[in-house]
Amino acid sequence: MKFNNAASQEQEARRKPRYSVIQNVAFMVKLAWKEKEKKVLVLGLSLAVLSTAKTVASLYLSPAIVGLVEKGAPIAELLWTLFFFTVLLLTLPALMAYVSGNTAPGRITLRTVLMGAINRKACCCSYANLLDKKFKDRMMEAYQAVDGGGCAAENIWDVLFGLIENVLTFLCYLLLLLNVDFFLLVVITLVAFLRYRIHKFLNTYWYRHHDEEREGYSLIWEMRQYCESVPMAKDIRLFSMRPWIEKMYAKGFELCDAFQRKYQNVLLRGPLSDLILDFLLQGLIYAYLIYLVLNGRLNVSSFLLYFTAANSFSGWISGILDNSLSLYQTSLSLSFMREFLDYPEPFTFEGGVPLTPDPADRYEITFEDVSYRYENADQDTLSHICLTLHPGEKLAVVGLNGAGKTTLVKLLCGFLDPTKGRILLNGTDIRTYNRRDYYRLFSAVFQFSSLLPASVAVNVAQNDGAIDEERLRRCVAQAGLQEKIESLPLKYDTLLDRQVYDDAIQLSGGEIQRLMLARALYKDAPFIILDEPTAALDPLAEADMYRKYHEMTKERSSLYISHRLASTRFCDRIILIENGTLAEEGTHEQLLALGGSYARLFRVQSRYYQEGEMTDVRKI
Amino acid sequence: MSGKSDNPKQAAKRKSLPEVLRLNLRAMRLIYRRYPHLILSGQLVAIWRALPAYVNISFSAQILEELAGNRDKNRLLLLILLTLTINALLSLVDALLTRYKTLSTNLFFHKVRKILGEKQLDMDYSILEKPETAEKVNHIWQLHYNSGWGLINVAGRFEAFTQAFISLFVGIALVVSLFTSKVPQSAGPLTVLNSPLFLVGLVAALLLLTWAAPFFITKSQGIWASQASQTALGNRIMGFYGNMGRQEQGAEDIRIYRQDRFGDKFYKDKTGYWCSKGSYARLCRGSMGLYRVVASAIPALFTGLIYGFVGLKALGGAFGVGMMTQYIRVISRFSDNISSLLRSWGFLRNNAPFLENVFDFLDIPNEMSQGSLPLEREKVREYEIEFRDVSFCYPGSTQYALRHVNVKFQAGKCMAVVGENGSGKTTFIKLLCRLYDPTEGQILLNGIDIRKYDHQQYLDFFSVVFQDFQLTNFSLAQNVSGSDEYDARRIVSCLRRAGLGERLEELPEGIESYYGTHFHPDGIHFSGGEAQKIAIARALYKDAPFIILDEPTASLDPIAEAEVYSKFNGIVQDKTAIYISHRLSSCRFCDEILVFQNGFIVQQGSHKELLTDRDGKYSQLWFAQAQYYSGETG
Repeated sequence: MKFNNAASQEQEARRKPRYSVIQNVAFMVKLAWKEKEKKVLVLGLSLAVLSTAKTVASLYLSPAIVGLVEKGAPIAELLWTLFFFTVLLLTLPALMAYVSGNTAPGRITLRTVLMGAINRKACCCSYANLLDKKFKDRMMEAYQAVDGGGCAAENIWDVLFGLIENVLTFLCYLLLLLNVDFFLLVVITLVAFLRYRIHKFLNTYWYRHHDEEREGYSLIWEMRQYCESVPMAKDIRLFSMRPWIEKMYAKGFELCDAFQRKYQNVLLRGPLSDLILDFLLQGLIYAYLIYLVLNGRLNVSSFLLYFTAANSFSGWISGILDNSLSLYQTSLSLSFMREFLDYPEPFTFEGGVPLTPDPADRYEITFEDVSYRYENADQDTLSHICLTLHPGEKLAVVGLNGAGKTTLVKLLCGFLDPTKGRILLNGTDIRTYNRRDYYRLFSAVFQFSSLLPASVAVNVAQNDGAIDEERLRRCVAQAGLQEKIESLPLKYDTLLDRQVYDDAIQLSGGEIQRLMLARALYKDAPFIILDEPTAALDPLAEADMYRKYHEMTKERSSLYISHRLASTRFCDRIILIENGTLAEEGTHEQLLALGGSYARLFRVQSRYYQEGEMTDVRKI
Repeated sequence: MSGKSDNPKQAAKRKSLPEVLRLNLRAMRLIYRRYPHLILSGQLVAIWRALPAYVNISFSAQILEELAGNRDKNRLLLLILLTLTINALLSLVDALLTRYKTLSTNLFFHKVRKILGEKQLDMDYSILEKPETAEKVNHIWQLHYNSGWGLINVAGRFEAFTQAFISLFVGIALVVSLFTSKVPQSAGPLTVLNSPLFLVGLVAALLLLTWAAPFFITKSQGIWASQASQTALGNRIMGFYGNMGRQEQGAEDIRIYRQDRFGDKFYKDKTGYWCSKGSYARLCRGSMGLYRVVASAIPALFTGLIYGFVGLKALGGAFGVGMMTQYIRVISRFSDNISSLLRSWGFLRNNAPFLENVFDFLDIPNEMSQGSLPLEREKVREYEIEFRDVSFCYPGSTQYALRHVNVKFQAGKCMAVVGENGSGKTTFIKLLCRLYDPTEGQILLNGIDIRKYDHQQYLDFFSVVFQDFQLTNFSLAQNVSGSDEYDARRIVSCLRRAGLGERLEELPEGIESYYGTHFHPDGIHFSGGEAQKIAIARALYKDAPFIILDEPTASLDPIAEAEVYSKFNGIVQDKTAIYISHRLSSCRFCDEILVFQNGFIVQQGSHKELLTDRDGKYSQLWFAQAQYYSGETG
């Protein structure tokens, strides 16, 4: 197995971000301001200051008491000093606990706002963008920036205020240690840098080599899905796939472990170099400070103070370094997110001509020599289509799998713009309209059904405000789902989506198809698009649907895609798409008389339904 | 559903002490049996990490003592060298042990997850398919992801336990002299510190404080645990809207029906569980936050008391400043250690109900008898399967899905199964393949109840292409054989028989081509119809006496459908075949048709026979579809 996309991914990750660290921090601060979540900033800064104060106070506690004992101070002084420190060290952590305990909601709110922006961009962007690999990569990066508690959009605050805290504490220690010796500070700082470089270098091993681990992870993830999937469970049992799954699982673990062994061997050099550096640096600090004590320039309590401070000084330096690096990485992720939000839209939305659909109006859509070619494809999926969908007309589209029917529908609905030619609505190019308004012209049942985690009523009305009860009942009845819904205890208020709600109901495939139909009817748009609406229905339900078809699409234009040619008879006109062109066009009778592809498809399908002996039917 | 709504209540209920111990030890045993090094390495590191702090404390105390006292240069040098050397050695061993632990705990989450995954594989399909089962598993993982409850953190808490325990014992050894060394009489009022009563009072106060901190933490954790079901719902809703925009399918619906509005509404709602006006924020501001505040203030009181006692004793001359720092630092650690012990205990106690969820799942018993009667496919040449008065009712349902079904399969014949949605067709197949056992009646193979046969060997009798068949993202060969060891020639011939021959010729990698690009950049995207053919090839490769096809042409165009029909003979050959379809055209080439209605077999016979009964269900179904095709073909 190869992973050549890994290299390009890495290259992508190294691309220059559009926004700098400063710009991204400013962006987040402004966001907090605008969303009235200023507390995120206030709490964060307070925490940094409190934390610094606590560190410094605890640094002084021990030396202060030692100092008092050393000079044999009066009992009262000792007790007062102790009282002062106790109050300080009691108040500071208590405040810190309260402040840090309250940071999460504000930060989550801001992350949620960003998730909302990303969701809006993803749900409202030009459909054509969804076919663009670069757009999809950006989208993935944007979601990564807001996914989970450790993501950039939430982590930025920890990193930012952590950096501030580190700098503040560093400055306090710096001021303190300047009393001792400047050169000692220089040495400690240099060692801290050296240590940081070593660890950073060792860690890069992971970036350079973790491709070796990727295959193992993929295997583990994949096998996990297989184990946990209910539909897969039947196949696993019937085809005795368990030993294979165990083997692949073991292989996945082994690949990851093998990488980890190598990686840990490299990482081991970190603590080894640390212990040498520690030995030398601690030795130096001890030697120097003891030298000062022996020369009478320090008393024991100052020795304790400086020794503790000097030993932890390097920690604050590496804290600053680590936090700066994290801030850079976090900012990188935020920059990618903003690049997604800025991604240009090829379609016209709010800037376009507004359009308010009126069911009483007559709409006509015309394809004017339309061709469409997918990016990177070597031929047109649809070429030179000329077609007019007249007001109130029932049009059927037939053709083999892959002939281009779906692309035709996507062009009609304005999901894709033609590569060549124009699509006109009552004579005007649809590209001039606000595309979101244009979508209001269509009711549709596509093959994939998207249920919302909400009630039946909301799913049909696609609106959780005012629902027209009577219309709701009528549409559900027309779609043939009334009996089922009204048999439920909560009727139209029954929740859907068991993934989210425990008390939701589970509808069968056929029932979901009918619910989607009810939704399309409720929208009551001038155009109804139905893509294979009977695939999961039994013969009686299918016949029922055909019977009601005219009533359902009354006074509206409709477009019907189906492999069951029986359904096409209910349409005023049938078009047959073959190899991307409009090959045949006419009524059912006309096309049969033509004796072309349509007639052949119909014959193939109807053959089995003919009366009489079919002794050789298996040999057709 | 009633079982489900009990869960949060159950989680909030406190477990008794023996229960808590039993559940947690069982969790440890479970992990130890599978991954012993994971537990061993963790414990070793925990023990080792208890030591270095004391080495530093006691050596630096001696150095301070020396500095405050004699200031003997040689002794100071010796002490420094010893400190540095011992530290270096401790770090060295620590680094090696850490490596051992990191390697042993690598992929811990996935390893634990696999334990549950295996249970899912072991489970009777009938239990696995229940929505409650899936909900149990989801619940377990959601609680883990949301708040870390469940199996994953148990080992870590036991490590904390060990570390605190060892640390406590070493610490006690280092402070014995604090209590034995007396303040000299010369110190005047400070001699009161020598009084045993004073000592008892002090220890009592310290113990109270030590107990109090984790008490409040566990309190706030308890509030958190009681929120588990609410946080889970919040996260599930978040899970839906968080994925809405990025899923591959549904983009059309979202635009046509402006479903982005629902997302917007969700995201703009600041009263959502986690947001600034939600209930979590209220908890943080209120009780949960205050418990945390109290808990974090307590250590300062503890430290204050210790400093006071030790400081005054030193001031009184009981010991020098060096020993003073040693006592203070050691006792300060006591507080940490005891807190850690109690916090860990608090976690184990709060976590116990969640562990119970895990074990409830792992302990779900299989209900199907596994059978022992051997049934080797090669040896059984003649076979006959009979349903004798079989009725079936899904667990938890009151309505029978199958009623009094009597039917005999004749070897080598082809049977069609038709009926309306929900009439019992798929249930019938599931019983035949022993994915379920009948509620009443018997299914017999050669006159013996199929429950008596070895389960796996019985399954070997069936090849099924389910309506929702699943392929894997691996090579064609692995898909068809379900293994990584296979007979390449037979795979090619099965793919050909399934009608994928021409496509196979075009593939440069042949049967080694990957299905999809998930695992291989050069993998092949197959259409739905082609995938179906691969699934058929898999069924053929198994070469079982029964072959069952469930709605194999639902998504195919007329030509592809006709191709499946015409190849049907080649596919089934001399096997017993069962064909389920809503397209009744398929009944024409089957020898016998079973018509299901409301769980009953209402008609049985050949197409011709059944059509003679014009009022029968079959005629009704047939003409509903055939009316549109009659008369007009050329």
